Amino acid sequence: FTPLMLTAMFILLLPIIMSNTQLYKNSLYPHYVKTTISYAFIISMIPTMMFISSGQEAVISNWHWLSIQTLKLSLSFKMDYFSTIFIPVALFVTWSIMEFSMWYMHSDPYINRFFKYLLMFLITMMILVTANNLFQLFIGWEGVGIMSFLLIGWWYGRADANTAALQAILYNRIGDVGFIMAMAWFLTNSNAWDFQQIFITQHENLNIPLLGLLLAATGKSAQFGLHPWLPSAMEGPTPVSALLHSSTMVVAGVFLLIRFYPLMEQNKTMQTLTLCLGAITTLFTAICALTQNDIKKIVAFSTSSQLGLMIVTIGINQPYLAFLHICTHAFFKAMLFMCSGSIIHSLNDEQDIRKMGGLYKPMPFTTTSLIIGSLALTGMPFLTGFYSKDLIIETANTSYTNAWALLITLIATSLTAAYSTRIMFFVLLGQPRFNTLNLINENNTHLINSIKRLLIGSIFAGYLISYNIPPTTIPQMTMPYYLKLTALAVTIAGFILALELNLAAKNLKFMYPSSLFKFSNLLGYFPIVMHRLPSKMSLTMSQKSASMLLDMIWLENVLPKSISLFQMKMSTTVSNQKGLVKLYFLSFMITLALSLILLNSHE
Amino acid sequence: MSMVYINIFLAFIMSLMGLLMYRSHLMSSLLCLEGMMLSLFIMMTVAILNNHLTLASMAPIILLVFAACEAALGLSLLVMVSNTYGTDYVQNLNLLQC
Repeated sequence: FTPLMLTAMFILLLPIIMSNTQLYKNSLYPHYVKTTISYAFIISMIPTMMFISSGQEAVISNWHWLSIQTLKLSLSFKMDYFSTIFIPVALFVTWSIMEFSMWYMHSDPYINRFFKYLLMFLITMMILVTANNLFQLFIGWEGVGIMSFLLIGWWYGRADANTAALQAILYNRIGDVGFIMAMAWFLTNSNAWDFQQIFITQHENLNIPLLGLLLAATGKSAQFGLHPWLPSAMEGPTPVSALLHSSTMVVAGVFLLIRFYPLMEQNKTMQTLTLCLGAITTLFTAICALTQNDIKKIVAFSTSSQLGLMIVTIGINQPYLAFLHICTHAFFKAMLFMCSGSIIHSLNDEQDIRKMGGLYKPMPFTTTSLIIGSLALTGMPFLTGFYSKDLIIETANTSYTNAWALLITLIATSLTAAYSTRIMFFVLLGQPRFNTLNLINENNTHLINSIKRLLIGSIFAGYLISYNIPPTTIPQMTMPYYLKLTALAVTIAGFILALELNLAAKNLKFMYPSSLFKFSNLLGYFPIVMHRLPSKMSLTMSQKSASMLLDMIWLENVLPKSISLFQMKMSTTVSNQKGLVKLYFLSFMITLALSLILLNSHE
Repeated sequence: MSMVYINIFLAFIMSLMGLLMYRSHLMSSLLCLEGMMLSLFIMMTVAILNNHLTLASMAPIILLVFAACEAALGLSLLVMVSNTYGTDYVQNLNLLQC
């Protein structure tokens, strides 16, 4: 079991190590990387199946790195339920994305470097997922952040891409502060960073580290408050968006919270906080997705909305369901991104959905996968999304939680259906609105194969995964029929409403946008306000307090200048004499002399 | 009174005359102020040492401290006047402006 897992991980390292040799300069390097990943996937399926049949978890602790006083740090991998199932899923999705990017980045001169970066990203993600102590997790955490920066700013000549990469790093950094706070608390209060030790010892008050972890998840998974980096990260190439910002990196935050579920089970405050945060995120990003015009941004917002849903699931104390949603979401979200990549490339890099239309006939395969992906996203029964999303909504309906958060989640589910309908309507149906001289071609084997694999995954993976995993928390079995049908009803309502609105408004004149539209389109004014105002205010406040307040007022003006000013004003108002000083002195002396002479009578 | 005291007292009166009757420079009155302080100091020290008033031995030093303070004050006033007028002629102090 364990050697196989280590072999699978080691194979991934090979292309990076060989990057200084002749192999790197070869034009077949992407091919090597892709086959490496497919081998690693197949090898990692073997330990997964062993795990499924026996339910046996393992911890590999290899190499004792250092001991700082009472803290022992070693290189240890934890192969439990979460990592064993996540690794094959992630490898499968990455395999398809690598094949897709062989088609997409075909004309890029630095394609070898691109594949190297994607591979490094995958390795750091594996480190994150299999980490058994917080230090190794932190290494993986920072690693995915750095690779995200390098990959978003891939086309570094574009100023928007650089800004977006910097924005990603800054928002992640704010989350990292929470992570480090949690690490420090664990270090001082339980002298270990190993998960086993943290989960066994009983702590009295876990609010501080759990708050830190929630902040880290907010930063990495783009929850409300630290969310603007995710739509801006769409400046990177589409394979980057598909890999990082749909399947793997953004689930790192959710994964962290899932890892700590024994600690979160006991703390009701944390659960309420995560629930409300996730609900706000879901609704807000779904509202913003309704009026965006860039196809990648709509999919990015839908990712953000699904992440909010995952956080809500953690908030109702169902970490296993959240993990299931991570796995299933990876399939159809990556496929949605790849379909939009194929559309963008064949329309000669056109990303605005107002300029696409009528792609139903020229690109049948992409159309099919787009429709199936959107249906899976909205939770159509018996496709992939149903197994996780419907279970989440049912559990939320029948649990003793915050009713407001529940309502918000339901509204966001219907909005999911609404914006998916919008994508499909604008991109696929109607008359073409793009330039007529495009050669629309989806004949490339790489493209077809990769989308086909993910398509089959989107349809069947939900069923396969749900029926093959070891039993975990038992979902609610009995509930009234109207609760069970809630998710379905809400989704269908969203579909029908969006379809009617789009059809009705198709040929109307475009009027001046209402304020609600502007709120939704500009991301709720959040990035506009938050990027300028706090930094300007803090800089001016520090300047005012440091130089104006301390120097000029206290040191200069309060005692010295005020005293002199006061005296001058007073003396000019009070005195009305002229300056005949000598006369005054003379009169003083004469008076003195006269008095001494005249009053000499005591002698 | 003995001759010493009258002598020193006469020096004091001379400096007082100089303080009160001067021609044009403000500096000369300040110098005479210093002379007054000096003569007072000498008189006080001689009286204390001759009559063995041991407990009052610190009084001359305190007088010296205060004399220094007032000399500094007088000089700063002189500098202020000199800043605005260039010289320290007493005729300049006719308008009460700074």
